[in-house]
Amino acid sequence: MRHWLSGLCMLLALSSVARGEINIGDKGGITYSVSSSKTPQVVDDENEIVITADAKRLEIKFKAGRLVYDGKDCGTIKTGDRVAIEPDGKITVNDESRPVTGLVAAWRFFVKHWREFLYGSLAAALALMVLLSLIGKVPVSYNVRNLFVRWKTTVMTALAFTLVVALMTVMMAFVNGMYTLTESSGQLGNVMILSSGSNDEGFSNLAFDDVGNVEKMEGIQPYGNDKRLASKEVFVMGNQTIPVGPGQKPKRRFVQIRGIEDPVVAALVHALSLKPGGQWFSEAGVEEVSGDKASTQNLIQAVIGNGLAAEMGSDRAGGKPLTVGDTFPLADRTWKIAGVLDSSGSTFDSEIWVKRQIAGEQFGKPASYTSIVVRAAGEKEAIKLADKVKASKETALNALTEKQYYSNMAETSKQFLYAIVVVAMVMAAGGVFGVMNTMFAAISQRSKDIGVLRIMGYQRRQILISFLLESLVLALIGGLVGCAAGMLADGWTARSIISGGGGAKFVVLRLVVSKEILAAGLLLSLFMGMLGGFFPAISAMRLRALESLR
Amino acid sequence: MLSLLGTLAKFAVIIVKNVRRNLLRTTFTSLGTMTLVLVVTLVWSVLSFIDDQTSEKANDLKVLITEKNKSPSRLPYAYVSSLKEGAARAPDDVRPVDYMTWVFYGGMLDPTKPSRENFIFLIGGEPEKIPTMMEELDQLGPADRARLDRAVQRMKEQRNACVIGPEQLKTMNKKVGERIKVSGLIFKGIDLEFEIIDTFPDAAKRYAQTSVMNIEYLLAALEEYKVTNKKPHPEGDAPVAFVVLRVKNRAELERLTAQIGDSPLYTAPAVRCESQGSAISSFLEAYKDIFWGMRWLLGPAVLFTLSLVIANAISISVRERRMEIALLKVLGFRPGHVMGLVLGEALLIGTLSGVFSAGGAYLLINKLAGGIPFPIAWFQRFFIPDQALWWGLAVGAGTAFVGCIFPALSARSVRVADVFSKIA
Amino acid sequence: MSDAEPIVRVVGVHKYFTRGAERVDVLQDLTVDVADGEFLALMGPSGSGKTTLLNLIAGLDTPSAGEVWVGSELISQMSETGLARWRTRSVGFIFQFYHLLPVLSAYENIELPLLLLPLSAADRKKQVMTALELVGLTDRMSHRPGQLSGGQQQRVGIARAIVTDPTLIVADEPTGDLDAKSADEILKLLDELQRGLQKTIIMVTHDPHAAERAQRTLHLEKGNLVEQTARKLERA
Ligand SMILES: Nc1ncnc2c1ncn2[C@@H]1O[C@H](COP(=O)(O)OP(=O)(O)OP(=O)(O)O)[C@@H](O)[C@H]1O
Ligand SMILES: [Mg+2]
Repeated sequence: MRHWLSGLCMLLALSSVARGEINIGDKGGITYSVSSSKTPQVVDDENEIVITADAKRLEIKFKAGRLVYDGKDCGTIKTGDRVAIEPDGKITVNDESRPVTGLVAAWRFFVKHWREFLYGSLAAALALMVLLSLIGKVPVSYNVRNLFVRWKTTVMTALAFTLVVALMTVMMAFVNGMYTLTESSGQLGNVMILSSGSNDEGFSNLAFDDVGNVEKMEGIQPYGNDKRLASKEVFVMGNQTIPVGPGQKPKRRFVQIRGIEDPVVAALVHALSLKPGGQWFSEAGVEEVSGDKASTQNLIQAVIGNGLAAEMGSDRAGGKPLTVGDTFPLADRTWKIAGVLDSSGSTFDSEIWVKRQIAGEQFGKPASYTSIVVRAAGEKEAIKLADKVKASKETALNALTEKQYYSNMAETSKQFLYAIVVVAMVMAAGGVFGVMNTMFAAISQRSKDIGVLRIMGYQRRQILISFLLESLVLALIGGLVGCAAGMLADGWTARSIISGGGGAKFVVLRLVVSKEILAAGLLLSLFMGMLGGFFPAISAMRLRALESLR
Repeated sequence: MLSLLGTLAKFAVIIVKNVRRNLLRTTFTSLGTMTLVLVVTLVWSVLSFIDDQTSEKANDLKVLITEKNKSPSRLPYAYVSSLKEGAARAPDDVRPVDYMTWVFYGGMLDPTKPSRENFIFLIGGEPEKIPTMMEELDQLGPADRARLDRAVQRMKEQRNACVIGPEQLKTMNKKVGERIKVSGLIFKGIDLEFEIIDTFPDAAKRYAQTSVMNIEYLLAALEEYKVTNKKPHPEGDAPVAFVVLRVKNRAELERLTAQIGDSPLYTAPAVRCESQGSAISSFLEAYKDIFWGMRWLLGPAVLFTLSLVIANAISISVRERRMEIALLKVLGFRPGHVMGLVLGEALLIGTLSGVFSAGGAYLLINKLAGGIPFPIAWFQRFFIPDQALWWGLAVGAGTAFVGCIFPALSARSVRVADVFSKIA
Repeated sequence: MSDAEPIVRVVGVHKYFTRGAERVDVLQDLTVDVADGEFLALMGPSGSGKTTLLNLIAGLDTPSAGEVWVGSELISQMSETGLARWRTRSVGFIFQFYHLLPVLSAYENIELPLLLLPLSAADRKKQVMTALELVGLTDRMSHRPGQLSGGQQQRVGIARAIVTDPTLIVADEPTGDLDAKSADEILKLLDELQRGLQKTIIMVTHDPHAAERAQRTLHLEKGNLVEQTARKLERA
């Protein structure tokens, strides 16, 4: 018990802190690694480089050769310099006592170029197979036919490859879906304005007075004659009691509610639209219910995310997604769906949008916003705008670009990724032992063949090549089938939570099987084949011709 | 009878000899089995813990009172006095056997340097309820329990006393006996000074990162805030996260739910009354698909791979030994005997490797690694449960059986004439 | 003894094996010459060292002492890689149990040694077909060993031995596993190779009838040459 809210609150309360190193690369590009999950944004605006790691705590400006961090001048830096930010906030430039050791440098290089490494390794593995079959003199048909002759063993071994690769593909597709979701949720020019000290809207509290004239600030895109693309929102979490049949245990679900002032502006800011047939809620946000009973309450008009509509629909008989005109109970009121958001692939897919005032009243935030999302002209402008908001003397606000906000939410994805890598490695190890059995058996069964070949003048390395190739062919077949099977998972939807940087969001995500995942799967398979085939092939190579013929 | 035992012993000898014949293959098979059993053990450890947390207990169950419509839940402290009686009004109303109030207080040791090392999170409650109402603490050994009771007593007497989990102490680089000053994050402006009077015993392994304090300390600080600032603290009107009650059985839970639901005391905000299991399941609803995938994709796929590895190894052995199987049959072994030899070999390898792997995982992960670091929901770590040894045994034996059934049948049906005619 | 230049010269060869601490002397101070184009039979009781001698001559094993010359090459001093290369070009092997690769067709089995030589596919085909014709198996060339009789398999074995056009053909009990009729066919074939193609053939056999085909028979006993019987070729 003890852990549950504790962990959750810790997550909410904790704004992780950026610290780590900055490397100024060539072309003015900057790579930056921090121990937290923050991915800072880097903009090279002629002579000015601005790094915004975490809206409040880390800010580096590089202007005309001088590095300015958190207002302090840290001296001149140039391309190739290394800037380290110590946990206590101290900045060192090219500190030799903190050299980038070989391993760290290599790791960083790898992380930066992982795609090239992935495709490069796969190409190398396939090229190796081609090369082996070219320099190999024992005809490949010899191996292929043997695979057919002992087809049961072949199928069993290949199937082990298939399962490992397919599983890895599915799991990776899940993580990839998470990343895709966080990446596609933020709009490029959007800036999120939160209360000072909070990094998540679930934890932010902007009293009406605090907001001041922030929406009038320069840099926010205009809309119509007198409006601006600024959406003032209150984001709250509610508990919905799920109707269950008599005798069943009570159920509830968490729902995320976003109260907005002007749905048209909000839709433009978040680049969302309604599915055909729907409409936004009225100015009052409620639908009058005619009836003479005094207890009759008006219906709350709501716009609901596509994914949530499907999930709530599963409560009712038949399980069809909720659509326009349907109602649902929440917070002792009845809510009527005015429209459904065309929102798949974003976090808004799991949200309910209502009039701000209603959300505030129902969920205890009657006089405050949680965030204001404004649209700037573009990415660079958004970063500048965020800076300006933070620097403003009149208001104590935090601001960060929406891209940044959502990329901070990739923390969970990272944890899953690590878990998956571990599981895949252990499974692969299990598979390798299986392959070794197969190959050792193949060799002991064909030791006479090996003897004859050697007597005829085939060199030891030819024997090695032949058997290595056989195991690689086995791996390639198994891996390809595994990739094909894994591809079936593309497009599956799954519920999950994304979190990081303090906040968490319930989401419905779509599994995405990418080229990189397939390449990784195939590479893993070939790697297993290589590892599993190598030692047996060595032992085949070392067989003594005369002895194997006795 | 004796002769049957003798026969069995002879079979066992042959099986062991067979296992040792191709040591390389036996080694690979059991290493493969061990790695795959390890994966299954890890996956099932997570799932079984989750299942355990969300399962509905029939007796002696805990009931959670939270805010009905909103999350995170916030309840006025005024609710507690009646809630701990289960809102009982009539003499024959259900009264909970035990209760505990939970508040969460979190903050930074040094507000100018916000970092994880600097952050502490405390659970506030009635100190005397900690040993009975906090999970697993009632299972401590007598020595640990006595120590905990001493700490509780001290927390009752000294409001600013707190107990901090050993890992949390290490992260903060503090020791028992030191004092810490915390500036509040959840309750902004409420800064508290604590004395660390003890740490949780190692046996309470889930408490490595947990800290507890006396709820009175926070309540008093909120009161003081009101006096000095001449207005209540913004979070002061509803500082309680939830109240936990303990009832005897499900029937009582239902009556209690009705009692609290009908009570006029809890309207703003309304409260929700549910068993701890169902509260946790609703929290975990968002992870349901992940758990589903672990349970129905990852687990079975690993088990299947494991059967494949064993099936492959055993069928290779059977193929290599066709000749001698035929010979055994010539010597009078019946098909069942031959099948028994193959089954015995597979089961021996599978079972031993399974037990070894699960046992090894149990020791390594629980004792050395300090749990499986798989942060999902609010769980930071998972531990291998005691029954994992049985899983290892069952998984090893089960997959070995499934894997060797076909090779065993094919060994059974080896025909002497075929073998010798082919060899000739 | 033939008048021609010896192609194989075994000079003072000594061969022993160590079995644990025990030393087994198999060949002792053995000297043998084999003339170019000669058909030589090796006879002797089991364990007398016939196979051992044959292996030394074919470059499959190295003597403990002494020299083995084939043509102008001192094969007893060659490296393993050198020996392998030399074997491909210069020696054809015929085994008692044929030792064909079961998954390959007759044609592919015969082609195997050629894959080690720098030949075009067309040349390889030509040579394989020639060898197949010689052993009279053109019609069975796409059959796998399992689909052939013992005699046919041995003929494939012979085709494989001669396909690289080696100087020397060694055969260890080539008829040992065959019935009299098939054995006779094989012996006839060897005879033709020796006569028609002037191949040097060294054949180990237990069968006096087979040995009769040879021009000369060496008798080994406990690693020593005990007897030589030479037969002048009357048959023309
Ligand atoms: N690798 C080896 N290690 C140890 N001893 C060996 C080895 N090879 C051969 N021998 C021994 O050398 C002796 C001669 O063996 P070899 O195979 O040459 O006899 P053989 O004349 O061909 O007999 P057979 O007619 O039975 O084939 C035998 O006693 C044999 O045991
Ligand atoms: Mg011999």
